[in-house]
Amino acid sequence: MNAPFFKFGLFGDDVSLIVAFVIGIGFGFFLERAGFGSARKLCAQFYLTDLAVFKVMFTAIITAMVGLFWLSWAGFVDLSLVYITPTYIVPQVVGGLILGVGFVVGGYCPGTSCVAAATGKLDAFVYLGGIIVGIFVFGELFPILSSFYESTPMGVVTIPQYFGISYGLVVFLVVLMAIGGFAGGAWVEKKFAPKVKES
Amino acid sequence: MKLSISNWTINQKLALVVGVLGFLAVFAGSPYKGFTSTVDSQELAAIVEKEVDHVSPEELAGWIISGKSDYRLVDLRKEAEFSEYHIPTAESIALPSINDGYLNRGEKIVLYSDGGIHSAQAWFLLKANGYKGVYILRGGLEEWKDKVLFPRLAENAPPAEVAAFEKAKLVSTFFGGSPQVGGAAASSTPAMALPKLEAPAGGPVKAGAAKKKKEGC
Repeated sequence: MNAPFFKFGLFGDDVSLIVAFVIGIGFGFFLERAGFGSARKLCAQFYLTDLAVFKVMFTAIITAMVGLFWLSWAGFVDLSLVYITPTYIVPQVVGGLILGVGFVVGGYCPGTSCVAAATGKLDAFVYLGGIIVGIFVFGELFPILSSFYESTPMGVVTIPQYFGISYGLVVFLVVLMAIGGFAGGAWVEKKFAPKVKES
Repeated sequence: MKLSISNWTINQKLALVVGVLGFLAVFAGSPYKGFTSTVDSQELAAIVEKEVDHVSPEELAGWIISGKSDYRLVDLRKEAEFSEYHIPTAESIALPSINDGYLNRGEKIVLYSDGGIHSAQAWFLLKANGYKGVYILRGGLEEWKDKVLFPRLAENAPPAEVAAFEKAKLVSTFFGGSPQVGGAAASSTPAMALPKLEAPAGGPVKAGAAKKKKEGC
């Protein structure tokens, strides 16, 4: 049996929605259990007192990366069927900065705001309201923004392709980066630990 | 710090596992494999029948002008013909090497050749290998010339056609072509010389040759 299941036609559009729903519930559950339903926990990332966000996200990234690499190496996943978002370098850098500023100011990222809203946090509902207004404004302004949105297109590129290095080497470097990051993160947490423990 | 692994925390053990897997990955080679896949002849026949796998020259021209980059335009003709003229943004891949991994199975791929035969054959080869979004430029380069580079307006055309021709003229100029007005002139008139490759002025048009270098993994 080969993955991606959807691309190989194991199930159709209807079932894919159910699969997406189940995965989404799982995603939300683990975000909540990691403590990401709390803006305090998320903001602690930026005060360097608690790097849980960095650790959880980076763990997810390297787990998925190593898993995809070895599963496709063994022939269970056809990597060339996995969708890769096309790169538009300048608009995506600007979008990333906007998301980052929103994260710091609002205390959530889009996913965690849904998690927090699900547990009844009022600030998360305000944040979600902001997301919906933002989506609406962006949609209405899209004709004006579209030339920027589609500028500096690079097509579908991956790091191994772009730099002409082997896929496995990138996997190893990112793993090293993660392990180094976790060790460094533990040190940073100790250094910036709050003097008075929060309740 | 104790060195015995049995004293390590679970996090340290997991880090060791992922470290080893990551290190071995360096020597594992490319994870992209050639997959054999069975052909669903009914599905393919249905696609052919409904013609959903066609892209018209006008559509393609629109994509190029607006700088869309969510597709790969593949020229199946010989290298020499490619260097003489090709549709802007196209990359040259010879028919025998179409399955050599230049293209990803998840990508939207638009094929063209002189007419339609080579495109259709390449379309089938790709489909049989599990490529999903494969499209054919309708009528190939011939129709691209007729519709985009050298659109023609009959002498006593109805107003609707004249209006459409005004738009086609702009598109044609963008690609360095020359719109034709009047009766059926011989297709070898000097006015209809193929545009030089540099001719499509400015815009988001990229050189196809430079793009190909980044391929392969």
